[in-house]
Amino acid sequence: MITAGIDLGTQSVKAVILKDGEVISRGKAFSGFDPAKAAEQAVGEALKRAMLSLSDVNHITATGSGMDMAPNSNSTISMMGADAKAGVYLFPHARTIIDVGAEEARAVKCDDNGIMVDFIVNERCAAGAGAFIEAMARALEVKLEDMGPLSLKAERASPINATCVIFGESDVVTLIHRQESKPEIARAIFDAMADRVSSMVHRLGVNPDVVLVGGVAKDVGFVASLKRKLGVDVLIPEYPEYAGALGAALVAVKRVKKV
Amino acid sequence: MKSQSEEKKYMPEISQKEVEELRKTITATSQKVIAENIKRMKKTDPNRPEAMQYFDEIADFVTREKEILAAKEEGKKVIGYMCLFAPTELILAADAIPVRVNSGWYDASKLGDRVVPVEVCPVVRSTIGAKMIALSPYLELSDALISVLTCDGMTKLGEILSDYKPVWAMTLPRVKDSTQSLRLWSDEIKAVKGQIEALTGNKIKGKQLKSAIERTQKATKAFRRLQELRKGSPVIMGRDAMLVNQTYMWDNIERWTEKTEALCDELEKRAQQKIWACPPDTPRVMVTGTPMIWPDNWKVPTLVEEANPQGILVADELCSGERLLYDPVGVDEWSMSDMLKAISERYLMASTCPCFTSADGNEDRINWMLNKIKEWNIQGVIYYVVRGCMLYAMEYTRVKKVLDRINIPVYYLDTEYTREDVGQMKTRVEAFLEMLSARIDI
Repeated sequence: MITAGIDLGTQSVKAVILKDGEVISRGKAFSGFDPAKAAEQAVGEALKRAMLSLSDVNHITATGSGMDMAPNSNSTISMMGADAKAGVYLFPHARTIIDVGAEEARAVKCDDNGIMVDFIVNERCAAGAGAFIEAMARALEVKLEDMGPLSLKAERASPINATCVIFGESDVVTLIHRQESKPEIARAIFDAMADRVSSMVHRLGVNPDVVLVGGVAKDVGFVASLKRKLGVDVLIPEYPEYAGALGAALVAVKRVKKV
Repeated sequence: MKSQSEEKKYMPEISQKEVEELRKTITATSQKVIAENIKRMKKTDPNRPEAMQYFDEIADFVTREKEILAAKEEGKKVIGYMCLFAPTELILAADAIPVRVNSGWYDASKLGDRVVPVEVCPVVRSTIGAKMIALSPYLELSDALISVLTCDGMTKLGEILSDYKPVWAMTLPRVKDSTQSLRLWSDEIKAVKGQIEALTGNKIKGKQLKSAIERTQKATKAFRRLQELRKGSPVIMGRDAMLVNQTYMWDNIERWTEKTEALCDELEKRAQQKIWACPPDTPRVMVTGTPMIWPDNWKVPTLVEEANPQGILVADELCSGERLLYDPVGVDEWSMSDMLKAISERYLMASTCPCFTSADGNEDRINWMLNKIKEWNIQGVIYYVVRGCMLYAMEYTRVKKVLDRINIPVYYLDTEYTREDVGQMKTRVEAFLEMLSARIDI
């Protein structure tokens, strides 16, 4: 049985193909202006790697903010539902799954059966999400992927306010004028972001095991800050940005069986 | 130099041309929104109760505006109010027309931004905006406004509207269950009675007040009957029931009562024949929080009932919904002093508005919700808050703790007076309903 999950995110579309419930390939494309086309590309890439064609797939489940635009999909699942499914599949003891993507951060709480019982989403603001790191990397004239390693070199923390990207940026400018070093500023940025995410998770309750997924989970700087702020260990899967697509593909397995 | 009386305390100068243009545009949008809402309600339940047709008609603002206008020409006075503490029995007893004037128009809130900062609650900003361009027929037709000092927004809204109309401010005590509070509030009720009498020129006598109380009790009876019918398998979609509830805020009370009773008769028959408005296993949701006002601010009920998976609103804890008329005035002796005492007690004690607190906090609101959850078999609660609605936002933490203990999922849905965030809200509402369906599956 072949199933597929597509996650139509705000910045990129991810696809995962499962054979009898096991991951056999992945694909990715930039969302751009045509998310439906990007979804086709991502699925096409994943199918090519698995040496399969679309007609081999028994069920496709879509998730993500653009899920209604997914071509060829048979059903949809909410992003929170997909996160829960993937988190518990990857780490059976996961009870809190945090997903930090380009434009949104959210957290899902699961019960002992791995069923979602509560969730929370960041308050209509990008300061707790990946876009914030991008904006700040521009302000520091540093490559996005260098931000994390740079922040780990910081010797101390300089607090900034991350109530929003715009105010955050003006705080960063203040630090630049104070001639703080780049590592310290980078650390301040991750700390501020992790502050936002962790207070959101605290409102939901921090129940171990805590799993972090989403593209931002690949950023070592953010992960270090989040661990400090949450005060617990944070588990990260090998392909954190594919968690949504994986969750959707797992839901597809269940739906094939139902039919 | 302008004379003192012409000088406005808050409102900016705005040209007649701009007023006309804005009113025309926003009225056209409003009519489109009304038609669209009703169309979608019909689509959700294609076999909608026939008695709903009356409420669809009276929801258009124009029908009732004409009636009120005609009544005014015969010398009747209209008294508007913002918060539910305005004693409508006294208004009716003086042969005047009570109307609630809070604005549900999204576009009007942007105009309100010219007067107060964007951080202020959009219900307040929109009502200010509506006044700036004479958008709301009920607000325009009001000869005076009763402004009850509840939350900060409502307190200052009355002051701002006094640029245009006589505004009677009523001080509401924040602790409701104390003798000194009741004393103060009773004095406020007596004072507003005097103001109503002075405006209308009608002295409120025992006979008229008794009749007004009885007419309102009848409306309460019909109102409660409708909510009771929502306890079992769904005979009516939540949006339809909510529209019926809302129209009470501006309709003629006797006719509204008659039409609501007729609707209930129809619903009872449907229940007997097992004709359901949606599948009986649809997740049952309650909404609580900031008032949702027709026509624009209909997005949460629409999202819930059009979602995939679908939900149904079987109850609410909203001052634009079930709190409107749920509690009757209880009179022992039909003497003037007893009737006034009963009115004072009803308006103060029955309210679950978060502007109240006491030693045990706003316990009445918690108890209302717990009772609804149990009796109406509610599976999840949407806690709806607009930006700037501080009191509801702050009470969330407590409500969440209580509902967590009884294992009832609650989702905090924050929004604004805007259409643009519907996509984001849909994601959240659908995830919430998905969660409830998954629980039902087990």
